[in-house]
Amino acid sequence: MKRSDRITAVVILTAVALVVVFWIVMHRTPGTLAVVQVDGKVVASVDLTSRDVQTLHITGVLGPLVIVTDGKGSIRVAEATCPDQICVHTVPARSPGDQVICVPNRMVITVEGKGTGIDALAQ
Amino acid sequence: MRKATAPIVAVIVVGAGLAIFFALRTSPEPVTSTYFLMDTVLTIKTTGGDAASINEHLYALASDVDSMTSYYKSESETVRVNTAAGNGTVSVSPEYAALLKAAVAVEAIDHGSAFDIAISPVSSLWGFTTKEFRVPTAKEILDTLAYSHSDQLVISGTTVQLRDDRARIDLGGIAKGYSLDVMEEYLRTIKPQPRQVIVDFGGNLLLYSRGRKRDWKIGIRDPRGQGIIGYVRSGDAFVATSGDYERYFERDGRRYCHIIDPSTGYPGTLNQSATVITDIQPMHGAIGDALGKIFFCSTAETQRSLFQEVQSQGTVGIVIVDATGTESTLGLITFVSTAAQ
Repeated sequence: MKRSDRITAVVILTAVALVVVFWIVMHRTPGTLAVVQVDGKVVASVDLTSRDVQTLHITGVLGPLVIVTDGKGSIRVAEATCPDQICVHTVPARSPGDQVICVPNRMVITVEGKGTGIDALAQ
Repeated sequence: MRKATAPIVAVIVVGAGLAIFFALRTSPEPVTSTYFLMDTVLTIKTTGGDAASINEHLYALASDVDSMTSYYKSESETVRVNTAAGNGTVSVSPEYAALLKAAVAVEAIDHGSAFDIAISPVSSLWGFTTKEFRVPTAKEILDTLAYSHSDQLVISGTTVQLRDDRARIDLGGIAKGYSLDVMEEYLRTIKPQPRQVIVDFGGNLLLYSRGRKRDWKIGIRDPRGQGIIGYVRSGDAFVATSGDYERYFERDGRRYCHIIDPSTGYPGTLNQSATVITDIQPMHGAIGDALGKIFFCSTAETQRSLFQEVQSQGTVGIVIVDATGTESTLGLITFVSTAAQ
């Protein structure tokens, strides 16, 4: 084998290896993330894989909301200024596709991430 | 010279090949839009086509349905009919008359004992229209039930009348499903067709794909916990779910959900949820929505006999979670429980 052939082989292998690494990085399952929207606009993103208990103070259409994570992958509404308190009573969101909704405040928390393979949730 | 260029040429060839590979496999990114309508969330996820403007147009169509059917908006046809109760006839739009007729036709499937658009005076008694919840007395319920039935509603062409002045109709039980019908009708006319569209209107779904080619995996929400209890597979369809877990209030440890059983005047307690999958046909979104309430308010025995009747009319399958939390299915659908995996 000629020296130039070896160089060619090494370069090609390096290129392939780089592409494979790039591919894996681009297509890894995203860490579970909760996206908080008010009136259709994203106001916050929360990392649910974090072990920290996180508290978010956001402003809904009606007034302030307090959103908390438990450090174990769940997120819920702790306090809200809404008449029915449906959001506060909603089971904490955890799996991809789970939502906590406060209609009066036009606030939606959606857990994102791959994993369930579900196209849509009947509820 | 040749020795130096060979590796460079190789890198360029490999790079170009990969670039073409990546370019060819890139699929259009879905565009997801979230709206608030009919006291719930409307989420539209469109892939392909002019996705953003498709989403906006679909929202506008649903918004029109809301303006037509709303129980609260003073200019809606529902409010016009209700305001004229006991006071002669009201002329309505052909679309509204068709929707009323579809609702009454679904009621007839079980003789109005599990779904009735005229039950709303009883719902109001429980506070579900004002959100000032209370448990009414048995006498109040019985007295109100006397005029809370669709036989108060007279439809003649596009002329509508409510006989008793205390009678009221509320299309909240089918308006979301009907919105999905209107949206599907529009989607079919779009050129070029979007690759796929998922409409989630407060948990009621429209699953639409170009050429109706998609095999969808539909998660069934766990009525008592987090996540899903399992999933079913289906082609393009309308999916309507009635459950006791979203809108309810609790008094003395009892749960009172917003779906009132018209045969008793009390919230349904026989099941935790009922999911109805109907095929893509005109009005099947609205019909599926109403059937969800009917199956939710029915015993297992009634559900089986009702299914015999609706199966020939485009109902593909039903997933039921009964009061004990046990799931069962009707129809040729396979439910895959997550617990079994």
